Amino acid sequence: MLNSTIIRIIHMKKQKGLGKLKKYVFLYILLLPSILLTLFFSYFPMPGLLVSFMDYDVFKGFNSPWIGLDNIKELFTMPMFLKATFNTLYISALNLAIAFPAPILFAILLNEIRGDLFKRFVQTVSYLPHFLSWIAVIGMAHSIYSTYGIVNDLRVSIGGEGTERIMFLADQALFVPNLIILNLWKTVGWNSVIYLAAIAGIDSALYEAASIDGAGKLKQCLCVTIPCIMPTAVILFILNIGNIFKDNFDLIYGLQNPFIDFETISTIVYKQGIAAGNYSMATAIGFVQGLIGFILVVLVNYFSKKVNDIALW
Amino acid sequence: MNKNNVLSKFWGWINVAFMVAMILVMLLPYLHVLAKALNDGTDTMFGGITFYPRKLTFVNFSVLLNDASMIRAFFLSVARVILCTILGIIVQFSAAYALTRKDLPGCKQILLFLMIPMFFNGGIIPTYLLFVKVQLINNFWVYVLPGLCTFYNILIIKSYISASIPESIGESAVIDGANELIILFRIIFPLSLPVLATVALWVAVGNWNDWSTTLMYVTKEHLFTLQYKLMQLIKESERIQKLIQEAAISRDGAGAALSLKATPESLVSAQVIVTTIPIIIVYPFLQKYFIKGITLGAVKS
Repeated sequence: MLNSTIIRIIHMKKQKGLGKLKKYVFLYILLLPSILLTLFFSYFPMPGLLVSFMDYDVFKGFNSPWIGLDNIKELFTMPMFLKATFNTLYISALNLAIAFPAPILFAILLNEIRGDLFKRFVQTVSYLPHFLSWIAVIGMAHSIYSTYGIVNDLRVSIGGEGTERIMFLADQALFVPNLIILNLWKTVGWNSVIYLAAIAGIDSALYEAASIDGAGKLKQCLCVTIPCIMPTAVILFILNIGNIFKDNFDLIYGLQNPFIDFETISTIVYKQGIAAGNYSMATAIGFVQGLIGFILVVLVNYFSKKVNDIALW
Repeated sequence: MNKNNVLSKFWGWINVAFMVAMILVMLLPYLHVLAKALNDGTDTMFGGITFYPRKLTFVNFSVLLNDASMIRAFFLSVARVILCTILGIIVQFSAAYALTRKDLPGCKQILLFLMIPMFFNGGIIPTYLLFVKVQLINNFWVYVLPGLCTFYNILIIKSYISASIPESIGESAVIDGANELIILFRIIFPLSLPVLATVALWVAVGNWNDWSTTLMYVTKEHLFTLQYKLMQLIKESERIQKLIQEAAISRDGAGAALSLKATPESLVSAQVIVTTIPIIIVYPFLQKYFIKGITLGAVKS
């Protein structure tokens, strides 16, 4: 009787210990594909950054001679790199000034719309461009802007028969405005989703209190809505600042054509590296870009924590 | 008070007008492209096409679909999307579920390991050199493998599971004698379907829309995707169009004849429609799934 109880307890314990191990083994198996994929596709390329300190030769591979910081020093004397960096920062600054606040404004305005069905319809339609590829958006721009496209037709019908038909996409001066417009068109709706969610989370008692105090719609917006979505906006602003050395390769490369001379960091990395085989230089460019971006995120996050008490980590 | 009321009503109408303008700005470009795709190419050259075809024809589409490489590209893109979505969801869901188990030894370290590449990674060229070494260049799997484990998606699924499925469900199932596999497939999986639908749609759309992977890692024609074909057509047509125009100005007789035959513009329009139509058709029906995930993410942060 006693014996059998003891045996049963031992048996149960054994089973429990084994079961626990088995439980964890199962969880580790679930994690294994992610760990292996990340290790291979994200960590294995990292030593490749050393290529930027080498005079890389495809045939010698990692036995290529070391040249230290020469590549990186050379970068800062290259007009092409400096110009591309300037262009990248220029586009980022314009996007921060235009494409960043636009969704906030859109969300606030959309929130004021009364009819629920109409509101939902506006949302659905405005999110749509987000799901089209950049190249499809460029294709559409191509069609709209073409010599006998709708924009030129409109200009002629307003300006009269003599109006010159412009090739918008082959005009150097219009390249940057085109980038900004296409980016705005594709992202404004989708980027407003997060602000709409933030506005929906505002306690309605705040609006009631403001209204009792005699605040009109505008005052309510300025004193309740905007302060309440500020934390979200600040976080997104930090993320954007961290990305100012990055640019949208899909959009810029897609819009480039033989009549445009406008390179950014990502396009020269592609053209120098993959297209021209100048691996050391292209890796050095990517390395400097990544490093500066990383430092920027840390810095902005630090200052934001100090000033606003809002931070990513 | 009354004046205030009138003002606010007036403002309300302005706002509605603004939103209507917004809808038009979002939809009309697509309609214009659709009209051009369905219009006779040489007729389009005269201009004046608005939002409906003037000379209805399916020639543009038949020219495109006549090209065997286009059909191939279509099926390749579809295969890629299906494979990436199914495998991606399996990888990401299983990792996300394991990471919700706080009792798992090493859970935090694994999370950190998966997160670091989001902030710091090798970049394009080191990745390219690695792919050269392991022969992923000009290999179909370059479309599938690198994107399978997306940390952002894992985070979204993980936060959904930990927020909406109480841990006690799993515990009570254990008491009832269910093992881990049964808990995962019979309890957690059905309860996570909403977030999985969202992530699956993101993965599918992202893979369908991607063309820079082809540009970077693929040079063989038989591995081109539909989006990449569109890119090629656009890049070339920009050149062709300018050349045609220049030819028409310099040697008016021969140039004009040439420009009548070549209509890269209507082909690009048709190609835009072909590459976007799957999304346009699916989007209205699955719209709620598209949106849900991002609000989940917002709640989390």
